[in-house]
Amino acid sequence: MSRVGIVGIGHTVFGRRSDATVQELAFEAYRAALKDGDLDPDVIEATVIGSVPEYHKQRSLAGVIQEYLNLNPKPTWLTEVACASGSAAIRTAWLSIKAGVHDVVAVIGCQKMTELETAEILALMGRVGDVQWESGFGTTFPGYYAMFARRHMHEFGTTNEHLAQVAVKNHHYGARNTKALFQKEITTAKALASDPVAAPLTVYDCCANADGAACVILAGERAARKLGAGREVWLDGNGCATASMSVLRRPELTGLPSAREAAAQAYKMAGISAGDVKVAEVHDCFTIAEIMAYEDLGFCGKGEGGAFVAEKQSYIGGATPVNVDGGLKAKGHPVGATGVSMACEMVRQLRGEAGEARQVPDADVGLTHNVGGIGQYCFVNVFKKD
Amino acid sequence: MFEWFGKVNFCPHTKVDGFAAHLRAGRLMGSTCTACGHLSFPPRADCPACLQGEFAFTEMSGRGTLMTFTTIDAAPAGFEKEAPFNLGVVDLEEGGRLLAGFGDTIAPDGITIDMPVQVVPRLCEESPDIKVHYTLEKPGTTWVKTGPESGEST
Amino acid sequence: MARNADLQLGLNDRVALVTGGSRGIGAAVCRELARQGCDVALTYVGEPGEADETVGAIEKLGRRALPLEADAADSAATEDAVTRTVAELGGLDMLVCNAGITRDAVVWNMSDKAWDDVLAVNLTGYFTFNRAAARLFKDQRRGRIVNISSINGERGKFGQANYTAAKGGVNALTRTLARELGKFDVTVNAVAPGMVATEMAAGLAPEFRNAAVRESMLGRLADPADIAHVVAFLCSDFSRHVTGQVIRVDGGQYI
Repeated sequence: MSRVGIVGIGHTVFGRRSDATVQELAFEAYRAALKDGDLDPDVIEATVIGSVPEYHKQRSLAGVIQEYLNLNPKPTWLTEVACASGSAAIRTAWLSIKAGVHDVVAVIGCQKMTELETAEILALMGRVGDVQWESGFGTTFPGYYAMFARRHMHEFGTTNEHLAQVAVKNHHYGARNTKALFQKEITTAKALASDPVAAPLTVYDCCANADGAACVILAGERAARKLGAGREVWLDGNGCATASMSVLRRPELTGLPSAREAAAQAYKMAGISAGDVKVAEVHDCFTIAEIMAYEDLGFCGKGEGGAFVAEKQSYIGGATPVNVDGGLKAKGHPVGATGVSMACEMVRQLRGEAGEARQVPDADVGLTHNVGGIGQYCFVNVFKKD
Repeated sequence: MFEWFGKVNFCPHTKVDGFAAHLRAGRLMGSTCTACGHLSFPPRADCPACLQGEFAFTEMSGRGTLMTFTTIDAAPAGFEKEAPFNLGVVDLEEGGRLLAGFGDTIAPDGITIDMPVQVVPRLCEESPDIKVHYTLEKPGTTWVKTGPESGEST
Repeated sequence: MARNADLQLGLNDRVALVTGGSRGIGAAVCRELARQGCDVALTYVGEPGEADETVGAIEKLGRRALPLEADAADSAATEDAVTRTVAELGGLDMLVCNAGITRDAVVWNMSDKAWDDVLAVNLTGYFTFNRAAARLFKDQRRGRIVNISSINGERGKFGQANYTAAKGGVNALTRTLARELGKFDVTVNAVAPGMVATEMAAGLAPEFRNAAVRESMLGRLADPADIAHVVAFLCSDFSRHVTGQVIRVDGGQYI
């Protein structure tokens, strides 16, 4: 079956973007992707927007973006699966190319999270779980991951230091990424001393909301080879799975079953195993999420995630470098943009264009792991460079 | 009146509406599928096992084991004044799981994973509106159950 | 019209506490609740023999009586009365607050003491007994509170600034407690009699009694039992959906 390649990537700075509307952010990423791929807008047949609508004042965002990109009357649609919306957009673009409906599709993940007042953010934060049985008790997004962390600590001896070491690593690489929200290093001591959010998680265990957009341009195999001119990167594995919305119906609370299932699908489709992955982007919305991701993706054994980071196995030079662009933790997490941002980084790494400070040597197979909510959705993509 | 359920309620209408009236009467209810006997907690009208839509409420013992817990410092809307507060996830003895806060019989520094707990139905006494919920308490904690006069039946 | 003396309200073996139960309306309430099958604790002030007559009537009906010397103006004594009732009669299902005094004077002649004494018993005394019962009823998730008020708490009465202010306060207290205790399945109501043929009324000048008879649509004063029957109804399961109400039992004296 014919492959799908990525022939252009674009990425805005992530951070507080009070200077721009969400469609203006989308445009920045789109224009950058055309420029990156040296592409003419005429080749774009459709766009798919990955975004979470409740953060925006603008309703029905895809239409506004399509107009601003000057792409009418070409089709567009929005995908929403919480923080994995960007990867869902990539999947539907990939599907449309696989189905032979489109040949070249621009995927734009975008989010402007600072449009909301603090009160609105707090109200949204109280509704991340199952609103019928859980939200009425005061659950929060960090609260759920904190409960995963506590259980992980209980079963496997994972420590607060392990969690902090994830933040230290991601800030280390964020400091070397000019697009990142936090471009500074931190120490384990500083992370451990930060204010509690939901015990055992502290401020430095949590990623930060941000505004931003990212764009990848996908093309069918023939078009990709022509347009890519040797720089194309292949999306050879695309896994997608779900888990219960409610933690009350999860089989266990030390990992995400959706991640394990999506990874198995992606590995099988790409014909690789975990050991083949040279660089990975994982969904570190909270530090414990990255530790669980190491295990769910098979980078280490179950329960060994804490030691994996402690032994620097997820640094460049370790067994599987992870989040060497800073991850959600240091780069920032504009929710709809995140999955697409991960894909951009993977293309950069596989092209060998990540820059001296954070290029993973000989990166020919890369993986992205993008989680929606508390694991209700997970998308795992495998990228290859010929 | 499912709007009674929760200190904050986002979901007033459901097919398992009677759950809240039972809870007000001091009874923690799961659901049993009348077709295949599958027990669910939280209760659900539509059986996940055989997909039938007929169910009966089944009283749960409320006895369970603490799976995990957290302390919420950064509170969501409606809970600002309560922070910091503890939340736990409990595996129920008869099956199913439940998330709740802790009551006065368990000291915050005495919470440990795998400890046995008793789920106790509660009224929010200080609220002008009827609000019902449940708290996690020390095993052996007792409470009053009332008859059908206390609310709507199923 | 004949009364059906056998009417039963399903109160058998329940426990009542009636304040000011030695005389007048209170005594009639004690007798009616005993007739309905309740054990009855009653408070009184004064001599130890003060409650003997009511106690005897309750026991004659085959029920237990618990006389308690308690000044309604004494907060600790009200808590103690509830505690002793629970301890000695095995629980408490209903509180009837009835204890009251009068110190009449037109307002320009009313002393601070006349005001304070009446408010202390007729309003603060109701609060303290209601509070003590509320603490218990809330936790046991059932209970009935009936406060004896007066139609004059709504319409006022010449010479009774203190008494009517207290009764108006009782009505407001009743409505607020109904709001606070409803979620616990506890009902709180008031009964507002017009003029009742009690010792208190017997002491009045005939023209006042006659005026009350004229005002009544039924052309008579109430018997204390007329009040007691409505109180018993409000203590029963038949009134489970009645709360926060001030029920006038006045023969239509104040319409």
